[in-house]
Amino acid sequence: MDIAFRSQKPAAVEVQDLHVRLGGNPVLRGVNLRIEAGRMVALIGPNGSGKTTLLRCLLGLQKPDSGSVRLLQEGPPGPGILKRMGYVPQRLQLDPSFMLTVREFLAIRRPLTASWFWRPSRQIDALLHEAVGEMDVTRLLDRPVAGLSGGQLQRVLICSSLLNEPELLLLDEPTAGVDTPGEADFYELIAEVHRRRGLTVVLVSRPFHGVSTCQSSLRPQWSHLLRRRSRRSHERGVPQTGLRHSFHPVPAPAPSFPRQPWTLNPSCCVRS
Amino acid sequence: MDIEPFMLRAVLTALFLGPLCGFIGVFVTARRMSFFSDTVAHAALAGVALGFWLGLPDPTVPMILFSLVIAGLILWLKERTALLNDTIMALLLSGSVALGMVILSLLKGYRGELDRYLFGDILSVGWSDAALALVVLITVGSVLFWKLNALALLTAHSDLAHVSGVPVRWLNYGFVALLTVTVALSIRLLGIILVTSLVVIPPAAARNLARSLRQQILLSLFLGLIGASGGVILSYPLNLPSGPCITLTLAGLFVLSLLGGRLQRGHQNAS
Repeated sequence: MDIAFRSQKPAAVEVQDLHVRLGGNPVLRGVNLRIEAGRMVALIGPNGSGKTTLLRCLLGLQKPDSGSVRLLQEGPPGPGILKRMGYVPQRLQLDPSFMLTVREFLAIRRPLTASWFWRPSRQIDALLHEAVGEMDVTRLLDRPVAGLSGGQLQRVLICSSLLNEPELLLLDEPTAGVDTPGEADFYELIAEVHRRRGLTVVLVSRPFHGVSTCQSSLRPQWSHLLRRRSRRSHERGVPQTGLRHSFHPVPAPAPSFPRQPWTLNPSCCVRS
Repeated sequence: MDIEPFMLRAVLTALFLGPLCGFIGVFVTARRMSFFSDTVAHAALAGVALGFWLGLPDPTVPMILFSLVIAGLILWLKERTALLNDTIMALLLSGSVALGMVILSLLKGYRGELDRYLFGDILSVGWSDAALALVVLITVGSVLFWKLNALALLTAHSDLAHVSGVPVRWLNYGFVALLTVTVALSIRLLGIILVTSLVVIPPAAARNLARSLRQQILLSLFLGLIGASGGVILSYPLNLPSGPCITLTLAGLFVLSLLGGRLQRGHQNAS
C-alpha cells in the first residue's frame, strides 16, 4: 500500500518501489513514499522495521537493490542535492578525549567559517550569530561537544544542520538520548523551526516514543503523521517488524493511541 | 660548544617528527586508533628484516612499505571479514613480529641491530632520515591542516561527514597512509616498541589542559616537540637508547599536564 498526499505541491521526497536487503534479509520490500514540500512527517515503527534503512537510502548512505529515490525534484541523493539537505544523527561517536567545542563543531560545517582555526572566537560568533540564536545554544559555545547532555547535543546538531539553509531536514530518532520532559521541548522546537523556515522535515522514531504524544499539541504540523502497520497488525493493532506494506497516514490525533503516563499536556510545552 | 653531527641529525629529526606525531595523534586518540599505530609500528620489524635480507644498507624504505602493506591488510580484512578490529590487529601484529624475528635469526650478524630498532638509537639517524622527516613533516602536516574540517567531522560522525560531502572512504585511507608513514619514520628515534607513545601521550596531555580543539592541537604539537627533542638531548649524556628517554620525558610532561589541569579547574571553581 502506498501513500501519496494528493495535492498540487511538488514532492520533496519521492520513493518508488524501493527494495533493500541487508545481509541477505529483506529489510525494505517495495516501499513507495511521497512527501510533499513543506510538510513535517514522522516515520514511526518498532526497532528493526526498516525505518532507519529507509532514512539511510534517502541520505545516500545505503544503496537500494532496486527502486528509486528522488529528492527535491532533482534526483537521487548526490553531492549537489545533499548540499540542500540537513541531517541530524541520533548521537555522535565522539570520544571525550577530543576537545572539539560547540563553536568549532558549528564552524567546520559552514564554508564561511571554514578557516576557524586561525580566526578569533568573536569573529566566528558573529558569523554564527543567527543560527546560534535561533536554536538557543549561545551558552554552550565554549563547551566540548563530547560533554553535552542528550538534549543539548540535539540542539547543537539541529543548529549545525540548519547552517547551510537546507530545504529538507532529516532526523534519525532525535529523542533517543533525551529525557522525557526534554522530549516534549524538543518536538516543539522542531515544529518551530519547521514553521519559521518552511522546510520539509522528515523524522524517524520508535512508536510510543513521544511522537504520539505530540500529536495533540503539535496537531497542525503533525497532520500527516505516518504510522507503519501491516494489514494483519492493523487488525490487531500491533505493529509488526519488516517494512512490507509501506506507510499509512494516520489522522492526528490518533484516537486509539494509548496515552502514556507522561503524555504531553499543553502546559508542559511552555518552557520556563 | 660543538655539536656532534649525529646529534644534530637526531635533534633535527626529533624537531620535525615530534610536532607531526603530536598533531596526527589528536585524531589517532580520538578515533581510537592507538592500537592501529602500534600494529603498523610492529609490522616495521618485518620490513627491517626484509631490508637486511635484501642487502640494503638502510632499511627505511622496506620498513615504510611493509608497514603500509600491513595497514592496507588491516583495512582490507576489516571490510571483507566479520572479524573485530582488535582481533585483526593482534593477528597482524604478532604475525609480522614473528616473521621479522625468523628472518633476522636466519641472517647471521644482524641480531645486534635488533636493539636499535626495538628501542631507538640516535646514532642510526642519517642525513637522509632527517631530510625524509622534513619532507614528511611538510607534506603530512599540510594535508592534515588542509583536511582539518573534514577530519574533525569524520571523527565526530562518519555518516554526518558523508552527508556533508566528505569523501569518507578516501579520507580514511589517506589518514591511515599518512599515519603509517609518520609512525614508520619515527621508529628510528623511538623504536618499534615505544613509537606509539609519541602519537598518544602529547594529545592526551594536551587534553588535560586544552579547552578547545584548536588549543588541543597546538598544545599537542608543542608537547610532541618538547618531548621528542628533550628525550633525544637527554639520551646522549645519559648514554641511553633514545626511545625510553623520549617516552619518559613525555610521561613527565603528562604528569605535569595532569597537575596543570587540576590547578586550572581549581582556579575556575574559585572564580
